[in-house]
Amino acid sequence: MFLNMKLLSHHTLNGFGGMGEGMAMQLAADGRRVLWLAHESAPKNFTAVDVSDPRAPKVIVQTDLPHAQMRSNSLEVAGELMAVAYQVTKFGLKPAGFELFDISVPERPRSISFFDASGPHSRGCHQLWFVDGKTVHMACADPELKPRNRKDDQVYRIVDVSNPAKPHAVGRWHLPGTMDGDDAPPPARLAPKFDAGFRAHNTNVYPERPDRCYLGYLDGGIMVLDISERSRPKLVSRWCNSPPYNGFAHTVLPLFERGLMVVSDESVQDNAADWPKLVWILDARDERHLVSIATLPAPPLDAFRDRGGRFGAHNLHENPPVPGAWKSDKVVVGTFFNGGVRAYDISDPYAPREVAYFVPPTPEGSPVGAVQINDVFIDDRGVVFTVDRHAGGLYALEMNL
Amino acid sequence: MIPDGRTPVMVVTGFLGSGKTTLVNHLISRENDSLVIVNELGEVAVDHYLLEATEERAVALPNGCLCCRLRGDLEETLVGAAMRRRRGEIAGFDRVIVETSGIADPGPVAQTLFADQALARDFKLGPIVTVVDAADPGNRKSAWDVARAQIAAADVVVLSKVDRPGARPDEARQEIRSLNATAACLEASFGELDPELLQKSGTDHVFPATAAHGAGIHSFALKFDNPVPQALLERFLGLLVELRGADLLRVKGVVAIEGNERVLVQGVRHVFDRLRRVALPETGLVFVANRVDKAEVQALWQAMSNLKGRQ
Repeated sequence: MFLNMKLLSHHTLNGFGGMGEGMAMQLAADGRRVLWLAHESAPKNFTAVDVSDPRAPKVIVQTDLPHAQMRSNSLEVAGELMAVAYQVTKFGLKPAGFELFDISVPERPRSISFFDASGPHSRGCHQLWFVDGKTVHMACADPELKPRNRKDDQVYRIVDVSNPAKPHAVGRWHLPGTMDGDDAPPPARLAPKFDAGFRAHNTNVYPERPDRCYLGYLDGGIMVLDISERSRPKLVSRWCNSPPYNGFAHTVLPLFERGLMVVSDESVQDNAADWPKLVWILDARDERHLVSIATLPAPPLDAFRDRGGRFGAHNLHENPPVPGAWKSDKVVVGTFFNGGVRAYDISDPYAPREVAYFVPPTPEGSPVGAVQINDVFIDDRGVVFTVDRHAGGLYALEMNL
Repeated sequence: MIPDGRTPVMVVTGFLGSGKTTLVNHLISRENDSLVIVNELGEVAVDHYLLEATEERAVALPNGCLCCRLRGDLEETLVGAAMRRRRGEIAGFDRVIVETSGIADPGPVAQTLFADQALARDFKLGPIVTVVDAADPGNRKSAWDVARAQIAAADVVVLSKVDRPGARPDEARQEIRSLNATAACLEASFGELDPELLQKSGTDHVFPATAAHGAGIHSFALKFDNPVPQALLERFLGLLVELRGADLLRVKGVVAIEGNERVLVQGVRHVFDRLRRVALPETGLVFVANRVDKAEVQALWQAMSNLKGRQ
């Protein structure tokens, strides 16, 4: 299925095509464009693909995890440094945190340091944001904290990596009431069927507002944090659609010049059992009073619900403030699991329009019987790179708008 | 730049036997992203697929294109195709090719796309391509009114059969120029033509007009010295349509309006598309019209503009 998107190439990544939500491009010193991809689950850690010619991508390195009870899921690249998240499947396991790599020679990533976040109440790091080469913002457990509910372990953490050999934590924030010792009462949880936890997810910080973190906080909605004092982030505002919606706020993409924010939920249940999982447009002219003004028109539920696996919103192309990334405040591109990758014109934010999509056929080896498009990165040539969560690997697309 | 994700609808027209089908078959052999709509069963290579699937409104062709036979209204066929594409019931398509019957005036197809708001959400008029047989002018002359209307409406005229014995491409070119000086004129041998050339010649592209003075049908351009008020432009076009709509065979152009914006103007006879903001260079308005005098159109604009200025 396609509209205004054309497949340039498809690579199943040596048979390890189950990809997470870490996609970052390195503009290598020798002129190559290297796309770094985090795997969704063991045994692979990350894969680097030379996408200089998007019609003929080449895997140049693929690494293994130390054991199977962990996953990387997320990574980011800043210059010749790469940060890779490590999340474990059981509390207390190691390695939990993130690892920094020197990728100046892409074929031979060299470990520089490891930031340890393991502990009896920790599953480590699920997601991280690293765009300036100095600071990692992440959704990660803090061994100093004990969550009242184990689902609430991953908080927002700031780690200074200006000396990449010695990363050190400088600040953190969690939703009041979720940790032992908090004065605030525990937050009201969603119905058991939808209770995913009050945890940090995406932790975006942009150079336009270095004093703000735009934070997805799963069932807690989204937060705007004042991080001008990194040791003491403060809540500026919160917007929460759940209840009555079904939680799992994922990404906040601010569009600074337009006074807008784009917020994605994540669908986490098969057959759209947690529908509706949408992408929301917020009027953010006043960051203290966020107002929902529209949602991106979702593909028809009845046509996609039973195709297999999940259906609904997930990741967005986040306009990462790094060289080589495409940026737009008129077109939003997101992933929708079996609904594929989709682009929306939001030039009129009150009436978003779908303008392009691509839904690959079911990849060979898919355990759910349908593609599960998981993440998207668009480079500054306009090439759309997107990945399947289970088997399909990497798809390179041309978007014609 | 505001993205326009609408799917262009290319209209391929031309007199009976001019080579429309050959051209369409060639176009879909190059790219597998088309929905082809035919409104008659002729020599189209896709016919037997249509016949095999009489209950289906869209039929997959071997190369991945789709084909529909236009059995009902064009609106119904297009809206249905867009809905089925969105639901994943048919493979995608990035352009639509409507092949009209040999004796059809392409104007109504364009008018349908301008006038139907539901349709205009998903589709826009692509190039009107008129195929003209360079080897057989006599055939065309047998129904001259229809053939002239087809040429007058064209964004692109494809001269077919230029390599046949007896072909007179220069004569055909002259005939085309006298009717429609704004259309691009391309040559095709056995339907072979770079599809890119056709796409580039869509309605977003306006060819500079050279005044052509044929008997009745001719073309001319109206230029504006300064950015114009949009409301005045709309009234001007409205009045022109009221007075001489039937004779405005094709009007198009990019006009600078007040507020540092430009709008795309497109019209066929009585029906005009709504003015859409575009990031294209200004061209003025190009008219292909029947017995409409440029000086009178210019005078009408001048009069309206002067009256407005004295408010």
